[in-house]
Amino acid sequence: MLDPSHVGRRYEAPAEVVAAERVSAYAAAVAGPDAVFSAGSVPPTFAAVYCLMPALGQVFADPELGIDLAGLIHVEQSFEWASPVHPGDALLASAEVAAVESKRGLIFLTVDLAAVDGAGDTVCRGRSLLLFRGGGR
Amino acid sequence: MSGLRPLAAIRIGEEMTPLSRAVSQDQIAAYAKAAGDPNPIHLDPEFARGVGLPGTIAHGMLDMAILAEAVGRWVGSYEGVLELGCRFSKPLLPGETITCTGRVVSLEEASGTVTLQLEATSSRGERVLTNGRAVVRLGD
Repeated sequence: MLDPSHVGRRYEAPAEVVAAERVSAYAAAVAGPDAVFSAGSVPPTFAAVYCLMPALGQVFADPELGIDLAGLIHVEQSFEWASPVHPGDALLASAEVAAVESKRGLIFLTVDLAAVDGAGDTVCRGRSLLLFRGGGR
Repeated sequence: MSGLRPLAAIRIGEEMTPLSRAVSQDQIAAYAKAAGDPNPIHLDPEFARGVGLPGTIAHGMLDMAILAEAVGRWVGSYEGVLELGCRFSKPLLPGETITCTGRVVSLEEASGTVTLQLEATSSRGERVLTNGRAVVRLGD
């Protein structure tokens, strides 16, 4: 069960290379019926693929936290980029539990995210606010 | 950098060009696959109703990706997008159209950046994304 004692826990995902075909598939999925917009670097929210999902995946897999994904709601998300991300970049995603707060039977989890390149430079930082309902499973 | 909207033409209060997109269940499924997010609340109506939703909903990150595209198109390049954030206030349901809007709230000549306040509404009139904010670098 998530509680404030978990604040400060850190997680690292295996390094991943930003694959051009995954970027194209992602951009096409975002465009849906419309023409793909692809000027510049990869779509900013491709950070979901190279940072958010792999890093949060490590958090969700921690048996100490006992997270039940069925009640998960993504409440807020922010990212900032120190440099543009391009296909071929090898990135290492990490997460740190920044806050765990309980309010009226709901648990709010704040996770700080980062993606670091092969030279050790942080290219992307993020923060996720997640809400877990109930816990009555 | 080329392709970026020139900063000199920007005034505080200026509106970002809005972007509207009809989001189908097929698109939500494509996004689930492309983003590697197979959460059944986006794909399985019965499961979604079982957790109190009206049916499947679009990923908040898909809504945010469309918001990012609105910003990228206005800036002229994704490379100009330095910061982006929002709150996922209400779900976007399949078949609805999301409309992303924004306006310039501050301007930093020294760094060549502007801050946009952003939001997105659904064709049902719900405020899907709120507290949206982007910092973007513009051109000379």
